[in-house]
Amino acid sequence: MPKYFQVIKITFQEYFVYRLNFVLWRFRSFVQLLVLYFLWSALIPQGTTLFGYDQAKILTYILGTSIVRSFILSSRSVDAAGEIASGTLANFLLRPINYLKYWFSKDIADKILNLFFSIIGIFLILILLRPPIIIQNNLTIIIFTVIAVALGIVLYFFLSFLLSMIAFWTPENIWPPRFLSMIIIEFLAGSLFPLDILPVGVFKALKLLPFTYLLFFPLNVYLGKLTTQEIFTGILISLFWIVVFWQLAKALFRLGLRNYAAWGR
Amino acid sequence: MLSVSVITVKNLKKHFQVHKKEPGLVGSVKSLFKREYKTVKAVDNVSFTIDEGELVGFIGPNGAGKTTTLKCLSGLLYPTSGSVSVLNYTPWDRKPEFQKQFSLVMGQKNQLWWDLPAMETFILNKEIYEVSNENYEKIIKELTRLLEVEDILKVQVRKLSLGQRMKCELIAALLHTPKVLFLDEPTIGLDVVMQKKMRDFIKEYNRRYKSTIILTSHYMGDVKELCQRVVVIDKGKIVFDGKLEEIIKKFADYKLISVILAKEIDPKRLEEVAKIKEFDYPRVIISVKRKDVSLVAAKILDKLPIADLNIEEPPIEDIIRELFTGKNYA
Repeated sequence: MPKYFQVIKITFQEYFVYRLNFVLWRFRSFVQLLVLYFLWSALIPQGTTLFGYDQAKILTYILGTSIVRSFILSSRSVDAAGEIASGTLANFLLRPINYLKYWFSKDIADKILNLFFSIIGIFLILILLRPPIIIQNNLTIIIFTVIAVALGIVLYFFLSFLLSMIAFWTPENIWPPRFLSMIIIEFLAGSLFPLDILPVGVFKALKLLPFTYLLFFPLNVYLGKLTTQEIFTGILISLFWIVVFWQLAKALFRLGLRNYAAWGR
Repeated sequence: MLSVSVITVKNLKKHFQVHKKEPGLVGSVKSLFKREYKTVKAVDNVSFTIDEGELVGFIGPNGAGKTTTLKCLSGLLYPTSGSVSVLNYTPWDRKPEFQKQFSLVMGQKNQLWWDLPAMETFILNKEIYEVSNENYEKIIKELTRLLEVEDILKVQVRKLSLGQRMKCELIAALLHTPKVLFLDEPTIGLDVVMQKKMRDFIKEYNRRYKSTIILTSHYMGDVKELCQRVVVIDKGKIVFDGKLEEIIKKFADYKLISVILAKEIDPKRLEEVAKIKEFDYPRVIISVKRKDVSLVAAKILDKLPIADLNIEEPPIEDIIRELFTGKNYA
C-alpha cells in the first residue's frame, strides 16, 4: 500500500507547484457558488415556493449540489483517456502498479483538497450572507450522508474510468463522447434541478439507474427527506452499480490492452 | 562459463492493422464512410536467444521493427503469434514479480514527473518497486555519482537540459537494479560528450550488475563500443545475428586501399587499376574485392607515384548503410 500513499503525496506536490493556478482554481469554485446562490435567492424570494421547495430547501439543494458535485462528479481519471491516447500509459504497464488504484489514489488527493477548500467556502458564505439553509444536526443522518457521498465518489470514479477506456478504440476523439455523457450524467444525476419534480413514473425509473446516486440521493439523505428504508434501498442500489461498473472497467481495460499499440513511442 | 539464456524469442510476429487514407480533403471525407486497412508486419517471424550478462545491439533502419520487438519483450504489446520468455516469464502477463526485474528506457519519452524535481519520481519508484530504504540509499548514491547528477536532483524536471533529463530517466529506471534492461535509443539527441558518458555508464552498469542489456541505436558508435553481439533487423526480419566484426566479413566483400599520391596524376590511370571511391588529391580511396587486394596493391605501388598506402576494412557505418539501401542480404 505505501506505493499508493506515495501517489497521493506526489499528487499533492504537483498541485502546489503552481501556486497561482491552485489559488485561482479554488477561488473560481467559490465565485461559482456565490453566483448560484444569488440567482436562486432572486428566483424564489422568501415565503414563496416552487415545485414544493421553499427558499431554504432550494438554496440548500443548489448550494449542496455544487459542493457535492465538486466531490463526486470530479474524477481525475478523465486524464486516463489522454494517457492512453498519447502512449504515456506505457509507463504504468511497465511497472508493478495497478492503473485503477493509481487513479483512485490521485482522486483521493484531489478530494482531500476539495474538502478542505469547500469547508472554507461554506464557512465564508455562512458568516457573510447568513443564508436560510438547512443545517443538518441529526448525527445518524450525517453518517448516512457521508456513506452516500463516499458511495457516489466510488461509483463516479468507475463510471469516469470506463468512459476513459474509449480512448483505446478511438484515440483521436476522446472528448466528444466524454462531453456528451457528462451532459446526460449531470442531467440524470439531478444537478440542474431536483429530480422529484419529474413525473412519478420517470422518477421511479431513474431511481433504478445509477445516476441519481451521484447527486440527488446523497443530497436528499442530507436534507432528511428519505426514510431509513429508502436510504438502505439506495445504498444497496449504489453498491450494485459500483460492482457492475468496477467489473466493466476492469474487463474493458483488459480488452483495451489487447488493442493497445503503445502509440507515439 | 555456463551460459543461461535469459531471453528466448521464438517465431515472434506482430502485425498491425493500419487505416489508409487517400491524400486531400476528398480522401478525408471518403475515409469517414469507408476505410481501407492494410496489414503492417512490424515484426515478422523473429527468433533469438540472449544469455545472462550479454549486451546486445539491435540495429536497423527506421521502422524496421526494433522498438516493436522491445515492446513485445517488455509486455506492452500482445504479439500476433509466437512466444517470448524473459526471465522465465511471459512478458504480457505483466506479473509484478517480472516487472520488478526489468526496465525499459526510451530515449524519446519520459517517465519523470514533469513539474516536480527528479527526486520525487525516484521516491515514487522506490515505493512502486518496493525497494528497501537501505538498497535505495546505496543505489541512488552510486548512480548519481556515476552519472554526475548530484546537483540537479532537486531541480524541476522541465528545467533540465535533455542530457540531464536522460540521465535522470536512467536513474529512475535503474533504482530497482533490473536484471534485464532494454534501452531504446538512449543516446538520441545527446551531444558527443554526453553520448560518450552514457556509453561508459551503460558499459559500467552491465559489468557491475551482470545485467542483460538490449540496446537499440542509430549511432554506430554506441554499438561499436558497447556490443559484442549485434542483431540486424530490417522490415521485421532478422537479417544478421552475430559478432560485429562478422558483419564486415559477411557483407563487405571488399577492402579499402587508401593512397597518398606523391604527384598529381590523371585519375584515369588509377581507374585502369581499380574502382575509385573517393578522390581528393593527394588522397585517393579505392575499393577492391577482398581476393584481389594484394594484387591491386602491388600494381599501384609498381605503377604510380605513391607517398603512402594503407589497406583497411571499410567502416561499419558504410556497410550498414549499403546493407539497408542495397538490401542484398545473402
